[in-house]
Amino acid sequence: ENREAMLSSKSNRLTEALEEANALFDGVCRAREAALDAQFLVLASNIGKEKASELHSEISAFDSTAFAEDLLTFMGINRTEETNDSEDESGESGGFLPEDAWKRMGEEALKYFKRAAGFHYLLGSWKSEPSVPKQRIERQKKATSGKEVQAMPAQLKKMEESHQEATEKEVERILRILQTHFDNDPQIPISFFDFVIDPNSFARTVENMFHVSFLIRDGLARIKLDEDGLPVIEPTKNSGAGEEDSKGGARNQVIIRLDQREWQ
Amino acid sequence: QVSELAQFLLIKDQKKLPIKRADILKHIIREYRDAYSEIVNKAGRSLQEIFGLKLVEIDSKRHIYILVNSLANSEGKCQEKEKMGLLLVILSFIFMKGNSVKDSALWEFLHLLRVYPGKEHGVFGDVHKLVTEEFVRQKYLDITPIPMTDPPESKFQWGPRAEQEISKRDVLNAVAKIQGKDPTFWASQYSEAEA
Repeated sequence: ENREAMLSSKSNRLTEALEEANALFDGVCRAREAALDAQFLVLASNIGKEKASELHSEISAFDSTAFAEDLLTFMGINRTEETNDSEDESGESGGFLPEDAWKRMGEEALKYFKRAAGFHYLLGSWKSEPSVPKQRIERQKKATSGKEVQAMPAQLKKMEESHQEATEKEVERILRILQTHFDNDPQIPISFFDFVIDPNSFARTVENMFHVSFLIRDGLARIKLDEDGLPVIEPTKNSGAGEEDSKGGARNQVIIRLDQREWQ
Repeated sequence: QVSELAQFLLIKDQKKLPIKRADILKHIIREYRDAYSEIVNKAGRSLQEIFGLKLVEIDSKRHIYILVNSLANSEGKCQEKEKMGLLLVILSFIFMKGNSVKDSALWEFLHLLRVYPGKEHGVFGDVHKLVTEEFVRQKYLDITPIPMTDPPESKFQWGPRAEQEISKRDVLNAVAKIQGKDPTFWASQYSEAEA
């Protein structure tokens, strides 16, 4: 309470309060009263600090009202003779503030801020491309190396996409080979091992098995066990009831272990 | 790792929210924890050399970073222009008033500019949120409660990002320009700005 009164630079109320507390303290004999006294001291010192800071600002008095008026002028306010129709709050000058008022202020502000430009991939939006070269003009040498770094993420993205396509293409290719074989010798499914094993490369063999597994998953090929218990593979016919077939096919699991020695 | 970190920092900085060391460790450095400072330093150097951006640690206890432009902006960027205008006004007010103002004083001042905390603003929307949350989270402004005030009040000061991105001298010059006076008109602010 009375905080504002104490704050006023003209008043000595703070000093008086401190002196009063000092006198009272002599009469203190209980801990509770001492605690109250301590609390009062904290409060008093806070007020003292505030007074001191207000003192500082009064040295070079800064007139905020005048500043506000000048800001409005800077932002392009149109002060007319007529008063506003809307309610006039106290201290508000009449006038029409244009829509781009704050944009004008912003343009001035940007001259002073050393703000890092928001980073966006070039690949993302073509619209932002014209502004990027403009900023780079200042940086000269840094510009070219900067673009290189920008190009790198773009290139990496492209590679990743083609990688996925490669797998699909392989799968398709293998399906076609399987179908061609089968067309030549209908009714005779091909031995699984004959199909996937590459006599020259173990890695290739594994890759082939990988691609075949996609065909099976998608229901484009089928693996069965023949009379000898060896797996054979044949393409499935494209039928309208394709969904039911593929559901049934998905139920079987075959675990094949193949290491390099066995392969050889 | 270095280039990954550099890209990570650039993207994280888009929203102007400070970047925490914990995030860097989790997403980029992972198992190379021992090399943390080396990786960070190299990334900082790349950013400086290639993009002209300074990686600044604004909190050495909790290890929080921001990106600041080493060069002054040559052209006005379209995004966020108006927010920067409001920010400059607020930072100027705080500085000219002795580097710290009560929130009530700030809102009283913004009133004069037709900006009200309770009313939706045509340009800024929820101004109260913008000033007390967004600007504070981005470390442009610092808000601390004043103890033992009833009703509770807070005070506004410059935040660490403001200290990095703009100088007191620039702010004083801006004020002087807007008011058509010489910066030396305000003696104590001038000497503080020149220090």
